[in-house]
Order: sequence, then C-alpha cells, then structure tokens
Amino acid sequence: MGTAYNLAWRLFKHEAKRGELTIILLAIVLSVASVLSLSLFSERLQGALTERSASFMAADSQLRSSQPINPEWLATAREQNLGTAEQVSMRSMAFGDEKMSLVDLRAVNAQYPLKGTIKVATTPFGEATSTAQLPAPGEAWLDSRLFQLLDVSVGDTVYIGDIALTITSVLSEIPDAGFSVFNSDPIVLMRKADLDAANITGPGSRVTYKAYFTGDNHALDAYFNWLRPNLDDEIHRWRAVGDDDSPIGRSVARAGRYFLLASLLAIILAAVSIAVAAQRYSQRHFDPVAIMKTLGASKTTIQRIYALQICFIATVGIFLGVVAGFIIQQVVVIALAGTVDVALDVWYWRPVIIAVLTGVICALLFSLYPLLRLFSVPPLRVLRRDMDAKLSAKSLQFFAAGGAIFCLMWMYSQDLKISAILFASGCALVAGLLLVTLGLIRLGRRLGSGSMGARQLAWARIRRRAMDNSVQLISFSITLLLLLIVLVMRNDMVSQWRAQLPAGTPNYFLINITEQQKPILEKHFNQADVQMSDFYPVVRGRFVAVNDERVNTEVTKEDASRKDEGRDGLGREANLTWSDTLQPGNEITAGTWQGNDATAPKDGIYPVSVEEQIAERLDIFLGDELTFNIGSEVIKARVTSLRKVDWQTMQPNFFFVLSPAAMTAFSPTYITSFHLPTERKAELTNLLQPFPSATLFDVDARINQLRDIVDQVSLAVEFILVLVLAAGALVLIAQVQASMDERQQELAILRTLGARGSLIRLSVVYEFIIIGTVAGFMAALANELSLYLLQTEVFQMEASLHPLYWIIAPVAGAAMVGGLGAVGCWRLLSLNTTALLRKMV
Amino acid sequence: MISTRNIIKNVMTSEGELQILQPISFEVKDGESVAIVGASGSGKSTLLSLLAGLDEVSGGEILLDGEPLHTMDEEARARLRGEKVGFIFQSFMLVQSLTAIENVMLPAEIAGYKDAKARAQDILEQVGLSHRAHHYPNQLSGGEQQRVAIARAFIGQPKILFADEPTGNLDAANSDKIEQLLFQMNKDIGTTLVLVTHDNALAQRCQRQLTMLGGALTETTTASVIAQGA
Repeated sequence: MGTAYNLAWRLFKHEAKRGELTIILLAIVLSVASVLSLSLFSERLQGALTERSASFMAADSQLRSSQPINPEWLATAREQNLGTAEQVSMRSMAFGDEKMSLVDLRAVNAQYPLKGTIKVATTPFGEATSTAQLPAPGEAWLDSRLFQLLDVSVGDTVYIGDIALTITSVLSEIPDAGFSVFNSDPIVLMRKADLDAANITGPGSRVTYKAYFTGDNHALDAYFNWLRPNLDDEIHRWRAVGDDDSPIGRSVARAGRYFLLASLLAIILAAVSIAVAAQRYSQRHFDPVAIMKTLGASKTTIQRIYALQICFIATVGIFLGVVAGFIIQQVVVIALAGTVDVALDVWYWRPVIIAVLTGVICALLFSLYPLLRLFSVPPLRVLRRDMDAKLSAKSLQFFAAGGAIFCLMWMYSQDLKISAILFASGCALVAGLLLVTLGLIRLGRRLGSGSMGARQLAWARIRRRAMDNSVQLISFSITLLLLLIVLVMRNDMVSQWRAQLPAGTPNYFLINITEQQKPILEKHFNQADVQMSDFYPVVRGRFVAVNDERVNTEVTKEDASRKDEGRDGLGREANLTWSDTLQPGNEITAGTWQGNDATAPKDGIYPVSVEEQIAERLDIFLGDELTFNIGSEVIKARVTSLRKVDWQTMQPNFFFVLSPAAMTAFSPTYITSFHLPTERKAELTNLLQPFPSATLFDVDARINQLRDIVDQVSLAVEFILVLVLAAGALVLIAQVQASMDERQQELAILRTLGARGSLIRLSVVYEFIIIGTVAGFMAALANELSLYLLQTEVFQMEASLHPLYWIIAPVAGAAMVGGLGAVGCWRLLSLNTTALLRKMV
Repeated sequence: MISTRNIIKNVMTSEGELQILQPISFEVKDGESVAIVGASGSGKSTLLSLLAGLDEVSGGEILLDGEPLHTMDEEARARLRGEKVGFIFQSFMLVQSLTAIENVMLPAEIAGYKDAKARAQDILEQVGLSHRAHHYPNQLSGGEQQRVAIARAFIGQPKILFADEPTGNLDAANSDKIEQLLFQMNKDIGTTLVLVTHDNALAQRCQRQLTMLGGALTETTTASVIAQGA
C-alpha cells in the first residue's frame, strides 16, 4: 500500500502542479459548486417562501373543526414547545344603529396570528399599516366595506348577537382572509373572550373552530402524528403550509418544482462534465499504466495507485466545490437581498450532503468505466502505441453512468416522475444522437472527399473520429438540452404567472348595481378615467334539487375554492348569471355551450352550464336536471355543458350560467370590476358616493401580495437560470478543451506538414460548427419531448411547441461550440510546431 | 538465459486467424548481447514482446532465466519483469508527469526497494544527469530522455535488458553516446542484452544477430562471422 500511496500522491502532486488535473478537478468543483449553490439557494428561498406562505395561513399548520377543539390538544402542543392560537369563525349578522349586514365573524385569542401581520387603517379604504395589536375585549375592528354597509364610523358601536362592541379600528387585512375575492363577507375581528356574551354559538349554528400551530417541521410532524388518531375526517381537517392551494401556494409549489428541476439538471450537467473529464483523464494515463505494468507493477498496485489518485482528486475537488458553491450562493443571496426575502443566516445541511454525495458518486461511478479501461491497458502498448485498452464493454458505461444519474436524481428529488421524465428524454436523445452520428459519418464520407479545403478537412475528421465525435455530440447535446429546458421552462412559467395578473388586473369589485345605475355608473367612471370591465347580471337563487332529488348543500364559488378547508356551505344562495357567450377564462370540458337561443324551450327546461369542480363535488352530470328557487319562482335547467374556470384570473366567475331565456322574468343586479391604481385609492370614496346601494370589494392588497410573490419568485427563478447557464457554459468549455487535446496530434502533423494556420483553424471551426449545429438541433427536439412531459405531468401547465428554439438552439449551438473551438484552436496554434509536437509525446 | 522452442504468434483478423510468427527456436546465453534485425513488419518487435513477456505466445515454450513464461499469467509475468527485466524503448516511454529521478526510481519502488531514491541518484550520476534529476521529461532533450530511460532500466540491476530501437529517435552524436552507455553498463553489470534495431552499426556491436523475415527467423550470425564479413 505504501508504494501505491507514494506513487499516487507523487503523480497527483505533479499533475496538479502541471495543470494536468485542471479539467477533471474543474468538473468536480463545478458539479459540487453548482449543486450546492443551487440547492442551498433553493432551500433558503423555499424556506423564505414557505415562511411567506405560512404568513397567509397565520401559522405553520392549522386544525379546522366543526366542533370545539379539545383544550387538552392545545395544551399538549404547548408542552411540545409549539406555539398555539385559536379562532372561532362563523357567518353572523352585525347591526349598526340602523342597518345590518351579514359578516364573516372572526373571534380570536390573544396569540393570534402566529405568522403574518394584521393591517389596519384609520379610515375605510385608507392606507393600511401593520399592527401587532388586537382589538381589546369589548372592541371590534371592521372591514372597510362594513362602514358603508352599516353606516358606522370608528368609535361607534356594532352589535353582534347580545353584545355591543366599540369599533376602534378599520380592519384592512388579516393573514388568513383567504384569496377568494368574490362572495366573501366583510370581516369583523373581535376577541374570543367576548363570544360567550354574544350568545351566537348555540346548537345548530355553523361555527368553524380553528387551532393554529407554529414550530419546526419535526415538532409539527411529531405533534400531528400524535394528534392524528384523535381526528375525525368528518369533523377535523389538518392543513400544513405545504398544502396551501391558494394562488400563492401554487406559485410557490411550482417555483419549488422548478428549483428542484434546475438542481437535477445541475446534477446531470455535473455528471456529464465529470464523465467527459474522467474519460480524458483515463486516456491520458494509458501510457503511464502501460509503462508501470512493463516495469513489473501488479494489477493490484495499478488499481491502488489510480483509486487513490481519484480519491485525492475527488477530495480536493469536493472541498473546493463546497467553498465555491457557498461563495456563489452568498453572492446571489447578497445580490438579491432586499428584493427576495432570503435569510442568510439559515444554514441547511441537506444541500451540503447532497452536493458532497453528488461529487463522490459522480467521481466514483463516472470514473469507474474509464478506470476499468485504464486498468486493462496492456503492457504491450509500450511497443505498439496503437494498442488500446482491452475493455470495451460500452454497455457497462451506459448502465453504470445512466444508473448513477437516475439514482442520484431519484434520491435527490424523491420524485420518481420528474426523474423518469428527464432520464427518458436523455436516453431518447442519446439513442437519436447515435443514429445521427452514423448519418454524419456517411455524409462525411461523401463531403470529406475531393480537394483538401477547410470544409473537406472538417468532414474528413468527423468521419475519422466517428466514435469520439459521437461521445462529444452526445455530451454537447445533453448540455444544450439541459440549458434549453431551464431557459424555456422559466420563460413559460414566468409568462404564465404574469399572464394571470396582467397590468390593469381589476383590483375592485362592485356588486348590487341596479339596472338604472348601470349607465350612470359607466359614465361616472369614464369621466373619472377608471377602466371598467363588463357588467354581469346576477340573480340570487337557491339551488334545491338535482333530478328532483332535494339537496342540502351550499353552492357558492367560495365553497369550491375552499373545498379543502372543509367549508360546509349548506343552504346558502348562489349567484346565478346568464349569458349567451362563454366568459373569458372559461373553457367547455364536456357537452356543448348553450349558444344564444333566447326562446323558451317547449318543455320549460332551460340549458345551464355548470363549473366542473362544483359539478364533481355535487355529483352533477351532463343531462341532469337542476332546480333553482329564485324568490318564489322555480326554474328548471338541464346541464348541457361543464366548464373549467380559471379562478386565478381576478374576474367575476360563476358556478351556474343559464341561458338568457331562463331569466327574462327576473330583475337582476349587476356585478362589475375595475382597476384603480393603488396610489389613487383615496378617490374611491368620491367615486362611489353616488351609488350608496352598491357594495365594494377591495382586492387590491391581495393582488399586490400575489404580484409581489410572483415577482420575487420570478426573480429567483431568473437567478437560478443564470447559475445553470453559467454551469452549462463551463461544462461546454471543459468539453471543448478536452476535445482540443484529442485533436492536438492531428493539428501538430498538419502544422508540421506546412498547413496554413488559417486552414487548420477554419477546419476546426467548421468541425465544431457542424457538431454544434447538430447538437443544438437534437437538443431542441429532445427539449420538446422533455418540456411536454414536464409541463403536463409535473408542472400542471399548458404544454406548447417552441418552434423558435428549433432555430435558436442550432444557431446558438453552432455559435457557442464553434466559438469555443476557435478559441481552443487559437490557443494550440499559438504554440510553435516544436512545442506542439512536444506536447504530443 | 533465454530459451525458446517453436514459439508462434497468431492474431485474429477480419479474415480469420493469421500467423504472424513462424515457429522460432533459439537460445541466448547469460551476459550475451543479441540484436534482432530485419525489415519493417518482419516480426522483430513481436518477437521482442514475447521474449519480454509483454505478450502471450500462441504456441511453443519460452524460458526466461529458467522460468516458463509461456505458462504464466499476466500478473506472474509482471512480477518476473519487475525482478529480472529492464526495458529501453525508441520513444523513451517516460512518465511525463514524473521528474527524471522519479522516473528512474519507478521500477525500484514497484519492486519495493527502500533505497530507491539513493539508487536513482547514483545511477543518474553514472549516466551524467544528476544535474537534471528534477526536470520533467519534456524539459529534457531526446538524448537526455534516453539516458534517463537507461538509468531506469539498470536501477534494478536486471538480468536481462530488452531494448527496442534504443537509438531510433536520436541523432548520430546522441546515438553514439547512448550506444556507449548501453554497452558499458551491460558490461559493468553483466546484463544479457537483447535489442531490436535497424541500425547496422548498433547491431554489429552485439555478439549475435538474429535476422527476421516474414515472421520467421532466417539467419543467426555470430560475432566471428560478422568480423569476418567486415
């Protein structure tokens, strides 16, 4: 072992000093650094975004219950060092001196909220500021809308049940108000201690009890595991921050999957660069191995020397990679500080372990086959330089390398689907590239003949170095593919996010507009230069039966959007609208749209279109006959279509859309929405003064929150993109560098024979351009397959073709690979012929 | 020292098995110097590789210092080479990432000598390269590199030295120096010398010449005959 150790160390030391290990060291450093920086950054960002998500839930986890929550459960949580808070909520009537309104009553204890902040204003719709306070016992904070609805002011009294509460502030925001903008009642915040005196939670009242918990994930998981046996699915619902199905939750989850994807691609990039470097390393050591074997070294000694050397390289590479990765990540975080809430002081061990493991596994498994080949070099090579390694089981390389990549991806992502999609795309690409290489060789045979110009030289070299070129083509293509996936995925994702909230998205909704008010309102708003959307007619109706079977279920949009919140919603009225055209953001998924037939059907059963989620929840199918009570009238309607509704478009949307013929007998009120820039908020009072009966919903704050999150996540995604692109560029440089070494011998011979530098340079550039173009084109093809699978199966996005990249990728491939080839060639040709020949020895 | 009986070598080609060495039998005595000569492609290097145990015979027997090479596996042959054989090659075959002294030490270290460094320094002194001990091969001239190779070949005081075109890459002046050194050390240490060469002058300095033609040994010429011919 001593001899092997000494020799390994000596070889390592000298080769490192002479720069011969630069490529393989760089590959390992790059792989560890990119995996570490990406995953550390994404963990920190995920942590920050999860914290942000938690602030929209007012806690890390919530327990909702339709019955009072056992106080012992809360006591146990506190014993386990979890923070707890409580809320009791219900829909109730609130009374001013002369008016009343249905409200969303939230009675909280002193610990609420555990996460996020409450915002208050001094005047209705006024500028909101955060507060750490709560209404004191005997006080209430009211939503801006209620001041209008109840005709009250700060300092007045609001009556809820048997209790009179003093209004001490205007409630602008509470963390868990929810994102359902439509059909939500204005909130009244009061203390839980006052609830008993209000005497409104008697038997039969529909009350939701919430317990909030905060603490670290392990403690919360342990607590939930303890609690789970006590929970009844009919009564309780546990919700953790990751279960957040709000637009923010979905954006964060999608961003999380993107970070995961980027990290996985970084792992593959790392693997490709290490595989290329290990192959080059192995080939460079064929001669030393043959010499040592000739001089009497046993196979064991050779194996020890090189295994030890790989260990030295891996150790140094991993160490430098961890340092570099940490520095890159810190630089990115510092650059983003103030824009994205990323806590610098939070340290995650998982990325470090993953990065080190990636380095170790890649270094070992990707050098396994090159090392086995190296060990099989015959001593006879000292006499016959053309003698190659005996081992040529290429399938072993594919299985070892492929298996290593797949296991690494699966281990890291713990997501079989995303790993399988990327792996399958990679395999399809490799298979396709092998076929293309064969085609190129044939083409090269034809194009490489004739007089020796630069182009002929290039084709001739492609043909002659068929096997080496196929390996290079595959590695270039995979690198370009990974870069394309990250780039296109980012573009698609960010543009879809932004499309949800384009500039001018309505941030206010106005309901209860009468037929008479409609034209006046339009004129008034136009004069004030406020852009309004369409008016939608609405009639409140009760959904009472399906196929004459009575239902006892509330039917509101909010119910569906809060489906996982377990909202009961029984007996509530629904907003019914009618239209002869399909609303924007709606898509028919079954049946046919009712069209514009305004005549009453002979059987008195009108067509109705039902939103698909509510249809599923209420077991409504195409052809079912629905019954609605509107006032004292009964309307029957047959389901002629089911619709998919994009609830994330901040537009009025409806569960039931009837044909206009069904509603001719009813006088509707109208709903509209409008956009008013936040800085013009003060104009609201004047704007609405002529329409006291209309009710305003303010969703400006919620839209700004959503937009803020989308902007932050988009920015973070762009930084991740830059990181992966940088890693990819370095891998390309390493690949070109490695392949230039292989071309060195031929360049030296051509140079010695007197070939002009320009001819050699041009021929190399041609060769790299051809390889880069083919690699880019193949990457674009594989990119479509990968993206289709990723977008439909993993990101739940709409898949689309990207024909532009079919041009961009080959051009970029040709430019990058050709450019790098030219630089590499220039470097070699700057040496004089003697130095070039000497480098060959 | 070397005894061969009907050794043959076959290789597989796309057209089937091809015999590239006809049955060859000869002996080399202890301390003898033998040159294998012949045209390119006549099988000289193939014969050398079999004699040195770098390749396996397809048939026949080879005894190297009494040990049956033809029955040994690769590991046993490597051990035998390490103990008894030294090599010099036309393209020097130095490990590029080791310095001159480290290249010289290499066989001694592989053989497990504790005093490898001291031996290497001594022998570099003998070949006149102690001042270049810490230079890498690409910092040395061709002649210097071959002197390092000679030092490496003799460090273990091998019983037999195989040389493949040892002056093939050198100019006349350097060739002459290398020849002098090679035969001087052969004489001093008493090593048996088997070399393959195109160089008539070098071949004539050997006690015996084996001439190869088309994979067969056609002629054995002793030093006395050479002298008469001259």
